[in-house]
Formats: sequence, C-alpha cells, structure tokens
Amino acid sequence: MASAIAVSPTAEAGGARPAGPGPGRRHSPFHRARRRMFVPFVYPALAVYVLIMVAPTLFTLWLSLNRWAGAGPMQWAGLHNYTAMFRDPVFRTSFVNTFWIVVGVGAAVFTIAFGMTILLQDMAGRKWARAVVFFPSLVPGIAISIMWGYLFDPDGLVNTLLADVGVHSHPAWLAQDNMFKVILVGMTWLSSGVYTVIFMAAVDRIPPELYQAAEIEGASAFQRFRYVTFPLMKDVVSVCSVLWCVGALKTFEFLLVFSAESGALPPTNIWNFAMYSYAEAFNPDGTADYGIAAACGVIVLLLTGLLIVLARRVLRRDADTY
Amino acid sequence: MTKIKRHRGWAHVVTVPAAWAIVAVNVLMIVWIVLSSLKSTREMALHPWSLPKHLLWSNYRTAWVSAQFGAGVGNSLLLIVGSGLACILLAAPAAYALSRFRVRSSGLHTALFVLGLGIPAQTMFIPLYVAFDRIGLVDSVWGLMLIYTGAGIPYALFLLTAFFRSLPAELEEAAALDGAGPGYTFWRIMLPLARSGLITIFVLQAIGHWGETFFALVMLHTKTTLSLSLYNFTQTMQYTGSRYSVLFAGLVILIAPLLVLYIVLGRRIIEGISAGYGK
Repeated sequence: MASAIAVSPTAEAGGARPAGPGPGRRHSPFHRARRRMFVPFVYPALAVYVLIMVAPTLFTLWLSLNRWAGAGPMQWAGLHNYTAMFRDPVFRTSFVNTFWIVVGVGAAVFTIAFGMTILLQDMAGRKWARAVVFFPSLVPGIAISIMWGYLFDPDGLVNTLLADVGVHSHPAWLAQDNMFKVILVGMTWLSSGVYTVIFMAAVDRIPPELYQAAEIEGASAFQRFRYVTFPLMKDVVSVCSVLWCVGALKTFEFLLVFSAESGALPPTNIWNFAMYSYAEAFNPDGTADYGIAAACGVIVLLLTGLLIVLARRVLRRDADTY
Repeated sequence: MTKIKRHRGWAHVVTVPAAWAIVAVNVLMIVWIVLSSLKSTREMALHPWSLPKHLLWSNYRTAWVSAQFGAGVGNSLLLIVGSGLACILLAAPAAYALSRFRVRSSGLHTALFVLGLGIPAQTMFIPLYVAFDRIGLVDSVWGLMLIYTGAGIPYALFLLTAFFRSLPAELEEAAALDGAGPGYTFWRIMLPLARSGLITIFVLQAIGHWGETFFALVMLHTKTTLSLSLYNFTQTMQYTGSRYSVLFAGLVILIAPLLVLYIVLGRRIIEGISAGYGK
C-alpha cells in the first residue's frame, strides 16, 4: 500500500486524489481497467471448476433421489435409495469402518504427531528427522498398501522378524477379523508424518520468551506442553483436523489392494463409504445401481460438511493469539 | 531465535532414542524395498535383510515390459505435466484477479472455489463417468487429465491467492503508470514474481497425481497409469503366483522419482504443504 507521503501513482492517474482506499481509488481508470478484466481472468478457471466439480456434485444430489442403472430412463425414487442403503448391513459395516478410519486413526495420528513434536522439539538433528518422518506421506497410498500387505503376508517380513526373535505363534494378520486392524495401523503410519511436520512448523512460530518464562516458573515438560505449546497451536490443530476429516473420508486405495481374488473387490467387512459407493456403481459381480452409489456420495459430502463445522466449533472457540 | 537450555532429565534419555527409532524404521523401509526389488521372490522372503546374492536387474525389465509399468509411467508423466500446467494456467490469473482486483464479488467467488476443497471424489465420479462416456472421454488419458485439472483448481487457487496478496502493490501501480494494461502487468510482471509459488504448486500437484488411483480406476479400462499397472499386477499375481520381487521393482519405479524430487526440493515441498495448513 502506498504510504501517505509518496503520492501513489493510481491517485495521480485518477486525478489528484489522496492515496489510500476510498471512493476515489476505486473509480480510477486503473481500477476500472482491472475490473473489466475480472471476468476474463476468473471465469476460465471457474468454468472448468464448475464443469468438473460443482455440476457433477449437483447432479449426484439429483441422482440420489432416482433409481438408475446408467442407461434407460431414470425412475423417481424419493428417499428410497437412502432408506434401502441404511437397511443394507454392508453399508452399516462401511459406516462403522469409515468412523474408525476418521476418528480412530485420526486420534492416533494426532497423538503421534504431538508426541513427535515434543520429542523433536529440541533434539539435535531435528530437521533431518523431520524430513525422514515426512517422506511416507508423499508416497501414493497404493504403494504403501501393497508394501503393507506384503509385510503382513504369511511369508512376509513381520513373521520373519518374529520368527528371528523366537515368536512362532502370531495371529493370522490378514485373516478376516484382523485385516482391518492391520490396515488401520498402516494408515496411521502413512499419515503421521504430515501432521508432525505441520505441528513442528507451528511450534517454531511460538516465541521462545514464553518458554523462558515457563522455565523460570519451574514448569515441567508436560506443563510446558499443556500451558504453552498446546494453547498456541489450537488454530493449526483445528485446520488440520478439518483436513484430516476431508482426506480420511475418501480413503480408497489403502483398502482396494486387499482384495481376496482377482478382479473382485476386497471383502465387504473392510469396506468404507468410498468402497461402498464405488462398488454400487462398478462392482464387477453385481448390477450397477447409480442411485445408491450417489446417495452414498451425498452422505460423504454431508459428513464432510458436518465434520468441518464441528471441528471449527470445538477448536476455534477460544483460539489464543500471540 | 535464541537457543534456550531446558531441563534434560531422565525423560530425555527415553524419548530421544524413541524418536530416532521411528526415524530409523522409515529409512529401513526404503532400504528394504530397494533390496527386495533386486532379489528373487524366494530370497526376499527368506533373507529380507541380506544383500542380494545376484543383482536381479531382470525384475525391472519384467516390471517395465510385461507388467506394463513402462506404459503406465508414460501416461502418468503425461497426466501430471498436462494437468499441472493447465491447472496453473487457469488458477493463476483467477487467483490474481480475486486477490488484487478489489471487485465486490471477489469474496463470493473465492468462497465458491474454496468449497471445492471439501468435495470428495465419491460425490463427483458417477456424473463424470456418465458424461465422459457419452462424449467419448472414458478410457482416454485426456479425459482423466481434464478431471485432474479441474480437481486441482481449488487447492491451487487457495494457495495462490495468499501468495499474490503478499506481493507489493507498488509494482502494479508503476506498471500502470507506464501504460501497461492489467493483462500485460499480470503475465509479464506479477506471474514471473510468483514463480516460486507456481513451482511449489506444480510439484505438489504432480506428487498428488503421480499415484492417483480412484479416478484412474473409474475412467480408464484398457489404458493404464503407473498406479493402475501396480494394482493390476497385484491382481494377476493371484493367477500367476506371487512375483513380489517384480512388484517391488514396480514400487521402486513409483517411489524413486518422488524420493529424488524430495531430496532436491524437500524444503519447498515441506513448506508448501505446511503453508496450506498453518496461519
């Protein structure tokens, strides 16, 4: 912004009006020329965005109220798709699993990220450690899940390592009952790095005087975290929890790889919303039901919105500033 | 920033090794993947930590040719370069206009774009599939590229508006005094200034789309991307028996470029990602 002493060029161009925001500035030729360019600058991006994201979303809302197999006429179904879906036991399993991924893995990821943030706070070589911890989150989910699947394969690395230390009775990791737990642990590992890095960046912005003050007061490491670090990170944590929810709700690749036979989808007891929605539309051994798939997509959208509002409410209420 | 000394009690003795153990596990994972990709599947299972007896480079040849990773790499590269450039070409002028033009509806437009950050892929894929099927864009790399471009716009716009807002206004005003129109000012002055932000966004999107699986799986049938080739290969193993060594060669092909990019541009990537969250 032009200072008060130097007369701003816009002001000169628009007649000798004082600098700074005001009606004079707004109506200068400079601003008029720019306003004329607003549409050509913004609308190409807006058009593509609306075409690829907004229009399909609206169409999905409409589709969820109809019965449709992808061809032929649509049949109005009202809320039938939703009621049918909630009666479907597979959908209920998907609901529970999605909940575990968003809340369970989320809690674990944030706990680990906090832990690592405290551990790394004044450790030698922290930059290097941070860089290493971050890398897995750049690797595509499909690669991590393939590796994870092999680790827990009957002949995989985990069993080999256990055998090396003399443990031969281990659970069948990828059996029906355990597979989902193994997946949850894998997802925790995959996601912890990003949040560790973000939390550490937030901690770095906290002024050291606050810690010195805490030091003088004789605060323990835990108290330093409880009364200095955490309150000042609330804002970042709130944004992160929103982003976590948005990302976790659409987990797909990590489950996809664990399919039992070729060409088929994974067993239904590890499905989540994303898998359910995909399966209703494209399951190789079933008929397409776009209406139900769309209804599931709408549920995910609603949950995303709800979680965003909740996360902002809970954590935003009294964000401290420094 | 002044360095301050803190109590280093017994807690430190426990926690620092714990932190380093987590770091070590991450490094060992990568070493293990690379070692495994050069062994036979049998050797991989029996001696996971030994150096390979013979370096089986043939795993990579098999992966590249018969498992179609070569074709996948080609398409994935085309996809990330094409969609990355298209996304920036669209989002940069929009972000510039929204952050600097002081048009009353800017806030509303920005909010509309940012809403896109919360739209999950599951809410969009059926209409996209149906529509693209009608106009012949299913099983087409170009169709997939269009989706990646559109889906990348909200994030690119979100980061770029913040970036353009931080540039000094004096430059634009001086340019206007010299008779430059808004278009010229943007393309010749502001865009070059935003270069580092643009590179960051391009790299972040490239990383995100390099292994994208959901839309690729929905949209492509005979064509393949790198992640689809990997997925298809895991599926064929159920008939042909486990060929994990070839699969791991595929994993290295997928991960190695990311690792190189990370080593070269690490700080930029980390800062770019945390900039999106913080503040």
